[in-house]
Amino acid sequence: MDSDTIMEPMDLKVRELLKEVQLDYSSATTKLVDDTVSAIKQAIDTIPEDLKVTADFAPQFVRDIGADKVEFNFKKPKLFEIGGSYSIRCVAKPDVDIDLFVRLPKECFHEKDYLNHRYHAKRFLYLCIIKKYLNSSSFIRKVEWSTLQNEARKPVLVVYPAMELAEVPGLSVRIIPTATSLFSILKLNLKRNNVCSLKQDESTPQATPKYNSSILEDMFLEDNAEFVKRTFLGWKELGEALILLKVWARQRSSIYAYDCLNGFLISVIMSYLATDSGRNLINNSMKPMQIFRVTLDFIATSKLWNTGLYFKSQSLLNISKEELLERKQYLRLFPVVISESLAHFNLAFRITGGGFLELQDEAVLTLSCIGKCKDGGFEELFMTKIDYPAKYDYCMRLNLKGNSDVYALGFCLDEECWRSFEQKVHFLLCQGLSDRAKFIRVSWKNATSECNVENGLSIFDREPLLIGISVSSLEKAFRVVDVGPNAEHKDEALKFRKFWGEKAELRRFKDGMIAESTVWESKQWERHTIIKRITEYLLLRHLSLSERNIVHIVDQLDFSLVNGVGDSISFSGSLLEAFEVLSKRLHLLKDIPLKVSSVQPLDSAFRFTSVFPPEPHPLANEKSAVPRLNKLTSTCIQPLEVMIQLEGSGNWPMDDVAIEKTKSAFLLRIGESLQNNWGMICTATEENVDVFMSGYAFRLRILHERGLSLLNRQNGSNQLKHISSVDKELFTRGQHSSMINGLQGCYPIYGPVVRLAKRWVASHLFSACLVEEAVELLVAYLFLKPLPFYVPCSRISGFLRFLRLLSEYDWNFSALVVDINSDLSPSDEKEINENFTSSRKGYEENAQNVNPAMFLATAYDKASEAWTRFSPNSSELRRLVAYARSSANLLTKLILGGQIDSYKWECLFRTPLNNYDAVILLHREKMPYPQRLLFPSEMNQGKHVAQGNASKAFHPFLLPEHMKGNSPDLKDTLLVDFDPLRCFIGDLEAKFPNAFKLWYDSLGGDAIGMMWERSSSKKRGRSEENEEEKDPVNVLKAVGEVGKGFVRSIYLLKSPRLRN
Amino acid sequence: MGNDMEVKKKKKKQKLNCRSSKLLEIGENVDKVVQENKENKSSGKKKRKREKGNQVHAGEAVKFSIEDKSNEGERKRQKNKSSRKKNRKNEEKNRVVLGKVDRPEEEVAGPGQSKTQSKTENSNRPEETSVAVDMRTSKSKKAAKNKEEKFTKSSKKQVENEPDEVYHISSGDEDCSKGMKKWIMEYHQSRPGLKILQQRIDEFITAHEAEEEQARKEREARASEGGWTVVVHHKGRKKTTDSESGIAVGSVAQAAVMDKMGKKKSKEIGLNFYRFQRREAQRNELMMLQSKFEQDKKRIQQLRAARKFRPY
Repeated sequence: MDSDTIMEPMDLKVRELLKEVQLDYSSATTKLVDDTVSAIKQAIDTIPEDLKVTADFAPQFVRDIGADKVEFNFKKPKLFEIGGSYSIRCVAKPDVDIDLFVRLPKECFHEKDYLNHRYHAKRFLYLCIIKKYLNSSSFIRKVEWSTLQNEARKPVLVVYPAMELAEVPGLSVRIIPTATSLFSILKLNLKRNNVCSLKQDESTPQATPKYNSSILEDMFLEDNAEFVKRTFLGWKELGEALILLKVWARQRSSIYAYDCLNGFLISVIMSYLATDSGRNLINNSMKPMQIFRVTLDFIATSKLWNTGLYFKSQSLLNISKEELLERKQYLRLFPVVISESLAHFNLAFRITGGGFLELQDEAVLTLSCIGKCKDGGFEELFMTKIDYPAKYDYCMRLNLKGNSDVYALGFCLDEECWRSFEQKVHFLLCQGLSDRAKFIRVSWKNATSECNVENGLSIFDREPLLIGISVSSLEKAFRVVDVGPNAEHKDEALKFRKFWGEKAELRRFKDGMIAESTVWESKQWERHTIIKRITEYLLLRHLSLSERNIVHIVDQLDFSLVNGVGDSISFSGSLLEAFEVLSKRLHLLKDIPLKVSSVQPLDSAFRFTSVFPPEPHPLANEKSAVPRLNKLTSTCIQPLEVMIQLEGSGNWPMDDVAIEKTKSAFLLRIGESLQNNWGMICTATEENVDVFMSGYAFRLRILHERGLSLLNRQNGSNQLKHISSVDKELFTRGQHSSMINGLQGCYPIYGPVVRLAKRWVASHLFSACLVEEAVELLVAYLFLKPLPFYVPCSRISGFLRFLRLLSEYDWNFSALVVDINSDLSPSDEKEINENFTSSRKGYEENAQNVNPAMFLATAYDKASEAWTRFSPNSSELRRLVAYARSSANLLTKLILGGQIDSYKWECLFRTPLNNYDAVILLHREKMPYPQRLLFPSEMNQGKHVAQGNASKAFHPFLLPEHMKGNSPDLKDTLLVDFDPLRCFIGDLEAKFPNAFKLWYDSLGGDAIGMMWERSSSKKRGRSEENEEEKDPVNVLKAVGEVGKGFVRSIYLLKSPRLRN
Repeated sequence: MGNDMEVKKKKKKQKLNCRSSKLLEIGENVDKVVQENKENKSSGKKKRKREKGNQVHAGEAVKFSIEDKSNEGERKRQKNKSSRKKNRKNEEKNRVVLGKVDRPEEEVAGPGQSKTQSKTENSNRPEETSVAVDMRTSKSKKAAKNKEEKFTKSSKKQVENEPDEVYHISSGDEDCSKGMKKWIMEYHQSRPGLKILQQRIDEFITAHEAEEEQARKEREARASEGGWTVVVHHKGRKKTTDSESGIAVGSVAQAAVMDKMGKKKSKEIGLNFYRFQRREAQRNELMMLQSKFEQDKKRIQQLRAARKFRPY
């Protein structure tokens, strides 16, 4: 037995993960590090002693920071020491940066240099000198500026060695100056003011705790590193747990940030837990994963955060009174306190309240992942990227480049101007959104590489300020009226008015209360933009920003759902009403042999998940009068399928064909009866019966209960084939419809996300690969199993997560189980699992072909037979995954900092046409709904093989001469469910079986992609056909002939491979 | 019970009678047979109603079908005429276009179409002997192609982007066998009206039932040849209404059966009654766990191969 068998899957995975991220301390690596460090030392050694350093080295920086008297004579550093994660062997790849502490010599500083940013200025000048000399070293490729935890007044140097190792690409050494015992600790007490520009305007000097902490941090850097080192060295499990936590945190960009968590703070928290002060919650017998869990649990739930974490020092056991007072002060100043009792310095002074809430929340979520997700949540914990776009429902970017108001008061006071601005924005949004938002995260990353800090601090506004908003609940987020203070409370009312300006209005409410309020009137289907309107209004009102500098990601994709002028989802209400009436009428029918026992909607328009729910058609109603028709009245109408069940009878025929015919007969009778009783117009083919009502066309289908009962009885047995497939299909569709309908009721945002997803699938010509229902299930999965996120509350975050699910899910080795209402019992799950494994049996022999490639199991379909049985196949799925990945990446990029123009957003739905062997372009004006075309396709490559004229037989809109006719004639011009694309595809597949594969957009695209089917050697017999047939040009010409009057032009990009 | 038995006997007798009578008049028309048969067997009122309906419809069907044919004939003629007209119109238009537009592709299109008819006589390739309607078009296509070649060659200098010939597809408005025109036509043909559809279905059902009856009879006849009386189990037609109250019971009975089946199950001995059962269950569970574990292991190997542990 090898060691793998004794371990649990989670442990095994964790071990593999650690192997991936741990730095191998091989001789080559250590040598590289040592060489680099000694190269740095040598370079510094060449600096002449007592070199006179003045502000002239970086005048702008010194001026911006507001320091006076910064001249000093250069002395060599007192100490070089490697600290940080490298020294405790806890580096987590891919960021391999080695901290090199360089102790600033006391001789360079005066006793009072802690005042007025003098220390910061001198520190920077010192580094400037070092940088100058490093540049001349041949061992060093380049030296760049960076900042310590995004603090612009504390830059650090990043040194890249000339040699690169394949195992550790991008290795760098950060030169971090330390100020051990440079100043008196007492002078840097939190209550003291050390920045004189703050003194001037107020009589009582304002304390500068952040500024003081900033200097104290440098003074204690070495000590703290030493302390962490003491705890971690020689404790392998602890180190591994630290790496795990780092990986965990790094996947969560909202908490692995300057104002929240960093590697050092994690190690401090862990050291706290591993020592007496933290009551030894972590002990030697624990495994890495256990330590991981304990630490997260501590972060998530401990009450100690309210009092602060203090390291006990050995000498002082009981705490003095002053000490306690001091602590209280800490807590008033900082949301989180982690302190050594003697040091009088809060290690966590950068953590903001918002950041910490976010951290605790993430920890809670992670703990529930461990409990609820399969395989201990390994994927969710360590492998899933939780960045702003996916995590937050609403993302905003403020472009503040060159906005001088940000630093109007000066760049650095107690706090830096960027941090104060963040707080201002955060405060504004919190107040403005009140309970609409659960979390608001404001973060402004200043550090950009390749910037010259010497030229001043104004360059730090290049990156946009990023805001993430998590919605508390959709009802609150979509609320139209915000009620403010009662008018009687004058002070509060005044405050409210001041905050909201002209938006505030006095309103009388139903309960008689008169109160200040704000109203955000908007249509039902535009409610998701309310948050955008509020935030934009407030930011414009209170901050001097122009509108084009605010980018709120909320409605950028709505263009894809527009049908002509507006979003036709607004007609859903009238559709449901019409359906209710129809259902009532069907129930009331008396002149049919069997009564209607139930009526159920099947079409996705009834459950708000149709990309284009039909709009009421002026000709499709009961009245015989001709309504006034506007110019663009469509000649086509989409039928909406409705399933009818009849009361039981023993007189049904026994075989399938006869059953179907009998159903048709029934439907005809029903149609006639509806026509007679209510004047509803009915039109029928041998398969379908459509009735017109209230502007909609309903297609009636009958579910025969015998098929259903058979289905129930033979659950699990193999006799399923016997049931007529029509009934089975109807049954599953009915089940699916009611299931999704229920889900849509719980999550109103589900519908829009599905619509975006469906539109995306179609616009990349995957209509033939992934059926609508499968998309609905995929999106349903996001809502039912949201971990490690919350349930998405905006269409964009939902859509992004859909794309990521599609691209990242392990389709080959896992079944996707959609369990609405948690219907599935353990035995059901077992059954699903068995079905899945049996479907994957063929994988070993042929990894290319497993069926179904996408295993979607539900309570009504445990073997994934309903939607993905034949498509997508493995190769289609691969393509789908690749498209989803690139779309997801693009969308992420757009949210985080793309251009503002809409073109890039459109690219999400623009599909490249050069990925096909041949492309057929269609006549746009001959498509049934030309207004649904997103982007007209044109080809500028490939060989133009054929082109065709448009037919005059069909027009998507009523012609003027039609409008003159009387009503019955007009109604005859209405085409139900006429889709030339479908006819074309059908004809092509019938005429050229297995010759090529077609990719198309059934929602209204004007391009069809073709790919030659690789002909297997078996079909050799057929290759004796005459040569002309094989010539791709001739084939394409024949294809064009099949689509006469519809095909605009055909381009050949690639000829099929030679058959041999 | 006794009553019931008698009724059954009577029914059987009737059936036998009927069979014998039918055996005598084999040559008789099938419709009648089916009718008799049904009247004999079905006691439900509804069924009878539908029968009558069927009869009536059947009568209508004949009429309609005749009308239909005549109509179709007319329609065809009209269509031919109109299509010819359209053709002419097209040609005219094309000529006009030719005069105005100076893009080379359209130039190709114009004369290619207008000269089709003259060209048809010259070309006689083997493919063109398929369908009458197709003939003209396919010829015309060929002709158009020929023409095109000439034109493209002559106008090569003008077409710089596409040095190869661009095949031209006609709009197809004159041709009902392919493309948009065909789809529209098929659409309209598939919706002949409720009445006609009803007829078709009725015809189908009568024919279907007759066929089935025939098959059944043949089967029985074959079996009874050897002097055996065939007792047939009649699925689904046993008893659809209660003889006294006239309430439909077919579906109820089904429900009752289901109910019974449900009850039966509960009587079975529990799965963990015997010790061996429990032991087996335990063993199965162990096996399951083991197999699951094996699977996990395999999966991890695959994952490792796919480098799925890298979090970046």
